[in-house]
Amino acid sequence: MELQIKNLNKTYSNGVQALKDVNLTIPQGMFGLLGPNGAGKSSLMRTLATLQQADSGSVTMGDIDILNDKARVREILGYLPQEFGVYPKISSSNMLNHIASLKGVSNKSERKDLVESLLNKTNLWHVRNKSLGTYSGGMKQRFGIAQALIGDPSLIIVDEPTAGLDPAERIRFHNLLSEIGENTIVILSTHIVDDVSNLCSNMAIICLGEVVVKGNPSDLTKGVKGRIWKKGIEKDDLEEYQSEMQVISTHLKAGQTIIHVLSDNRPDSTFEPSKANLEDVYFAEISSRMERITD
Amino acid sequence: MFKEIFLFEIKYRLKRPATWAYFGILFVFGLIVAIGGNGPASEKVFVNSPVAIATMLNTISIFGIMLASAIMGVPVYRDIEHKTENYYFTYPISEKGYISGRFFGSLTTLFLVSLGLHLGLIIGFMIGPYAGYEEPERFTSFNFWYYLQPTIMLYWSNFFFAGCIFFSLVSLTKRVMLAYAGGAILFITYLITLTLTQDIDNKALVSLLDPFGFGTYRNIIEYWTPEEQNSLMVPFKGMLVWNRVLWVGLGLIALLYTLFRFDFQRFLSRSYRTKKRKNLEEDTKGSAIHIGIPEVAKVYSNVLNIKLLFKLAIIEFKNIIRDNFFIAILVAAVLFLFFDAWFGFPIYGTPSLPLTYYMLEVKDFTYIILIFVLIVFMTGEVLHRERNVNYDQIFGSLPIPNGIVYGSKFLALAFVSFLLVNLILISGVFNQVIKGYFNFEFDKYFTDLYLIEFPKYIIFVMLAFCVHSLVSKKFIGHVIAIAIWATLFGLNSFLDVDNNLYLYGYAPGYTVSDINGFGHFGTSLFWFRLYWLTFGAILTLLGFLFWKRGTDSGIKARLQIARGRLKVSTLSSIILLVIIWLGSGAFINHNTKTLNNYRTEKAGTIASADYEKQLSQYYQKAQPKVIDVKVNADLVPEERRATIKVAYKMVNKSDETIDSLHLNWGGPGIFHKKVEDFKIDGKTPVLGKKYEAFGYEIYSLGKSMQPNDTLVMELKVTGMFNGFPNEGSGSDIVYNGTFLNNNFFPSFGYSPESELTSDQDRRKYDLPIKDYQLPPQDDEWGLQNLLFNDDADYVTFEGTVSTAPDQIAIMPGYLQKEWPENGRRYFTYKMEGDLDFFYNISSARYNVHKEVWTGKNGEKVNIEIFHHPTHTYNMDRFVKGVRHSLDYFAENYGPYQYRQMRILEFPRYSTFAQSFPNTVPFAESFGWVGDFSDPEDLDYVYTVTAHEVAHQWWGHQITPSATRGSNQISESMAEYSSLMVMKKEYGVDAMQEFLKEELDNYLRSRANESKFEKTLLDNDNQAYVWYRKGGLILYALQDLVGEKNLNNAFRSYADSAAFRPKAPFTTTKEWYHFIHTATPDSLKYYLEDSFEKITLYSNKTSNATYKQLENGQYEVTIDVQSGKSHFDGNGKLLGSPEQPNVLEIGIFGEDVKNDLGMTVKLPILLEKKWVKPGESSFTYTVDKIPIKAGIDPYNKMIDRIPDDNLIYVEEISE
Repeated sequence: MELQIKNLNKTYSNGVQALKDVNLTIPQGMFGLLGPNGAGKSSLMRTLATLQQADSGSVTMGDIDILNDKARVREILGYLPQEFGVYPKISSSNMLNHIASLKGVSNKSERKDLVESLLNKTNLWHVRNKSLGTYSGGMKQRFGIAQALIGDPSLIIVDEPTAGLDPAERIRFHNLLSEIGENTIVILSTHIVDDVSNLCSNMAIICLGEVVVKGNPSDLTKGVKGRIWKKGIEKDDLEEYQSEMQVISTHLKAGQTIIHVLSDNRPDSTFEPSKANLEDVYFAEISSRMERITD
Repeated sequence: MFKEIFLFEIKYRLKRPATWAYFGILFVFGLIVAIGGNGPASEKVFVNSPVAIATMLNTISIFGIMLASAIMGVPVYRDIEHKTENYYFTYPISEKGYISGRFFGSLTTLFLVSLGLHLGLIIGFMIGPYAGYEEPERFTSFNFWYYLQPTIMLYWSNFFFAGCIFFSLVSLTKRVMLAYAGGAILFITYLITLTLTQDIDNKALVSLLDPFGFGTYRNIIEYWTPEEQNSLMVPFKGMLVWNRVLWVGLGLIALLYTLFRFDFQRFLSRSYRTKKRKNLEEDTKGSAIHIGIPEVAKVYSNVLNIKLLFKLAIIEFKNIIRDNFFIAILVAAVLFLFFDAWFGFPIYGTPSLPLTYYMLEVKDFTYIILIFVLIVFMTGEVLHRERNVNYDQIFGSLPIPNGIVYGSKFLALAFVSFLLVNLILISGVFNQVIKGYFNFEFDKYFTDLYLIEFPKYIIFVMLAFCVHSLVSKKFIGHVIAIAIWATLFGLNSFLDVDNNLYLYGYAPGYTVSDINGFGHFGTSLFWFRLYWLTFGAILTLLGFLFWKRGTDSGIKARLQIARGRLKVSTLSSIILLVIIWLGSGAFINHNTKTLNNYRTEKAGTIASADYEKQLSQYYQKAQPKVIDVKVNADLVPEERRATIKVAYKMVNKSDETIDSLHLNWGGPGIFHKKVEDFKIDGKTPVLGKKYEAFGYEIYSLGKSMQPNDTLVMELKVTGMFNGFPNEGSGSDIVYNGTFLNNNFFPSFGYSPESELTSDQDRRKYDLPIKDYQLPPQDDEWGLQNLLFNDDADYVTFEGTVSTAPDQIAIMPGYLQKEWPENGRRYFTYKMEGDLDFFYNISSARYNVHKEVWTGKNGEKVNIEIFHHPTHTYNMDRFVKGVRHSLDYFAENYGPYQYRQMRILEFPRYSTFAQSFPNTVPFAESFGWVGDFSDPEDLDYVYTVTAHEVAHQWWGHQITPSATRGSNQISESMAEYSSLMVMKKEYGVDAMQEFLKEELDNYLRSRANESKFEKTLLDNDNQAYVWYRKGGLILYALQDLVGEKNLNNAFRSYADSAAFRPKAPFTTTKEWYHFIHTATPDSLKYYLEDSFEKITLYSNKTSNATYKQLENGQYEVTIDVQSGKSHFDGNGKLLGSPEQPNVLEIGIFGEDVKNDLGMTVKLPILLEKKWVKPGESSFTYTVDKIPIKAGIDPYNKMIDRIPDDNLIYVEEISE
């Protein structure tokens, strides 16, 4: 089953066009949605998660019309929003049990087993009877994924799940995600390039509401292979370089400013070739569209 | 540093839209009130008089506490809310600078915002005279001081102290909710002081404790006449100073405490706000991840959905009842419920028994206001629950149908409503148990609470649901919902919009009675509830369509969603509901308008004006007078219907020829009359002219009546009720407790009673101002007619009445026989001798209590009490009242004219007692269920019975003419008589309490006079003059000239005027003449002062001391100030004569209890003295130790400050 997004458009009432003619085909497996803040990732995900209306376009998944048949979408959906809260005075096991019943898991003992296994899986077993208000950021996030996994969803949407997590938590979270579903569609949005390259077999980069690039991360990386050059420069010279060549990113290394430049040929001998990675693809795509990106 | 923070605060505030919104609301409010002249000023007071302005400012400052909490609660909280506290406090600022800057910045903002009201008022009062809503004469010129002084004294000082408290609460606790809770507590304190006001002995306490100084202020101005209200500002002295010192001081202390206590570190530390959190240990082993997730079956079915609906509803309900705000408001609401019921329903300060209907009625006191607030707020909470904790996105994407989510939230509120009605039951039963009353009547509780009140709460919920669904911002939703209720209330209370069909949730009022249960109110309540429930359901569904699930709040998106949700089922439900709604509305309209002639208050006023314009041409037109009445009445209380036939024998007592009979039925109302048969001397008369709108018909008499000619008029009328009205009890005929009087039949000729009386209304509708309703004492027409009814002088009466088989029917006269026939019960009554033309027909399931009174000359009077079977509580008080009255009046005024005295109970649709010849009906709530267990409480059953029995002489024997002042002959005399019966029973030393009540009532009423106060000799329609002033003046007169002496004069008067067979009938001139005969020349000044003028004393004891003499006696020195002034009817000072007056000087011991358990004075010395105005000093030597001393200690004189007459005596050492 594939998720087909066709000509999806959305303009908010304040005039911001969040989605511009978005076309995507999302196969089963992990799909990464990469883009800077405000690119429209969350808009797209909320639209898929039935929380938001689209102005035009269609989204289908098998025979489900995602935009209009919200009730059916919700039956197969697991959603973890970018930001979410919890009822602070209720324990995670009670809350999961409650959500399971809302998701149609009506058999009591099945529900109990499900909740227990989810608690174990997300490593919340030892705190299952503690109220959610006392959870740390990582625990809360794992609770979020646990609730999204309830009810064997075939469409899972996770919106920037690792933002604010410490490195260990992030790894644990990645492991969790990679566990689920070869048979499900998992859409992961993030602005952390490594997340996508580590996890996803397919991806799209979205910027200013438009899909600018889509495909397999390694294929995309191949596309810039041999075209990325780097050089350490004086900070004051940056502007000069920017006006002369396509500087896709700058970062600091040991106090020196390193620039990455996209160019078919080596700009001059002071530049060294750089091993292309997904990050370069990302910056190459968005640097031309947005103002200066500084890492 | 203070300066920067202060200025930043002000600049920040001035940029906030809320600041301007508050300012705007006050401005518009002031403008509307000023232009419309809706302020607190009676007709003779300028709408912008100093007192009116001060009252307005004061009142608004009470409601302004919400404003104070909104503005003063947030300045410190802002840093928490926006999470700026973490860095803001690291700046080099001091705590004191921060706190004082924020405080004074906010306070300045608050004061500036509050000036919106002034601006609105000032501009409004300038526009007012030209706007035409209020007459230009009612506006006086602008005076800056009228605004400034009360602003500082009351308005800003209230804002200041409330602001200090809110600011401190939030600064010290970081909880903004406390500011609102603090506001609620202050408001509750205010309401409690209001309850205290009921007892005039609490005046000083109220003055001190009222947090807003409103009671204090009102106690100062309550006796001010229009003239004074127009020219004087409230002086800042006395209790007002202490009140302000107390409350402003409290605010200041709170502020200072905060200023010194506030500390950044403490403010930042978390533990200060919540319990210390224990950080949870992280379990770092990662192996758990590889656990598989079991497969589960997912079921989505309607059955499960219904289960889910209830499950979610119960969770939501639990969430609500755990909410601290909910609990806080609910506790306050229940406390009100309880205390309103506990203190509620006193009559003349005496409590009533905790009957079930009283317990139920308190739900409409303060409770309902808090319920409004609760429902609005809780609906907001419930609909925003997920959004509040940011759980909405997860929740929104769960596979639960919209209807189930929305429905469960609604259901939760329905559960809350059910809880709320049950609290009324619990509080009621609890009250009853504590008071030792065990007749719980759960059927009444259940019917009223579950069938009538519960649907009403649901209707409230529905509106709140609609608003909170349409408006996606919670706070704005609250504001809009509260604004809708406030608008409805305002339309209803101030703009006279009273059609229940147009006011959401409104329904006709209803009264529960022991005698008549829920009576006939069920039908109209059912239809109105149905009408509003269906409309509410439409609103709820409308809310459902637009209810926000998800994150999209754009209008376009929400319309799109609404279209998506508008499925066939929803649409058809809406259509069905609209049909039922419109259908029930049409049915109600048919009932209230077509069947029951609903009209607006304004239409009623215009009708009265038209009545006068078109028909006053017939005023005083000669009509024959009734001399004999025969009644044949068939009551069908089961169907609220009666067919009554009368035969009136009528005589032309005038010296004109009469050729037409004018029947005045009155305009169409809710009691419908159908003429079955109408004959004059056996022939059907010819209708000459008919004024349909006023029910006025002119029939020409076949043969003109010459003077002294007689005719017999036979009239058979069926009276009934059709459908239900918009408002009104329709209590004439009810299932149990029918109470009809001669108004069932038309009166003859034009009656000026239905004319407009207010000067303002009369001017508005081009009618000349009418100072008096009745003609002067020498008016020929006036002398020819009797006061209560100009259709007859005295009549003879007999009749037969039938009623339901289980009821007893009563008419004037002695029961001749009683028999059953055709399943009905018949009674024949016949009166011996004459009675004035004023009779009643009553019927109910009565029990009868009988006793016999035997007079000094062996005459016997049957005392019969017709009462509801369970209302036996105060029977002995009624009987005692009748006995003591007959004793006193027969001895002092002459014999009682009948052989029986009957007291009837009728349902509590109104609260009064009335005296018919030999019959006194008392309302169910007036005495029958009073709680007289405390002897200190006024036994009004006894005193009112005495008053009504006195009317058998003063009114029914001596029936005055239809001239000015005549009411004094019946009412003042009855009031005096009642006071004398009390004096005899309780002793003269117990009387001060009663006299003070009369005095207080008189002074308060005259301050609100809308025309001008009339004198005792001329007063024709001011009840407070004829009862309160009349009673006081006559009591003091008997004290001056001697009780026996005065009563002898009254007896001579009665001998001369009782049952006067022919005109001219008696007037106040004649009455006054007899009073004069009992008064020595030296005291004539008192008569002139009291009867011909308006005279107020200002007596005061400034100093009282004693020293013990060597012989063990005590020498007491009393320094008094005396003053006496004459005023005109508007309260304008005419002069203060210098002649001395007779006043009482007294020295008292400690108050004691008399045999009945009442607190009475213990006089050591009491002496009447000629006291000249100004200062005087008196010295006496007495045997006993003096406690109190003073001038006019019993408050016999009319004195505006009665409390300073008697003071404690202090000992002076040598």
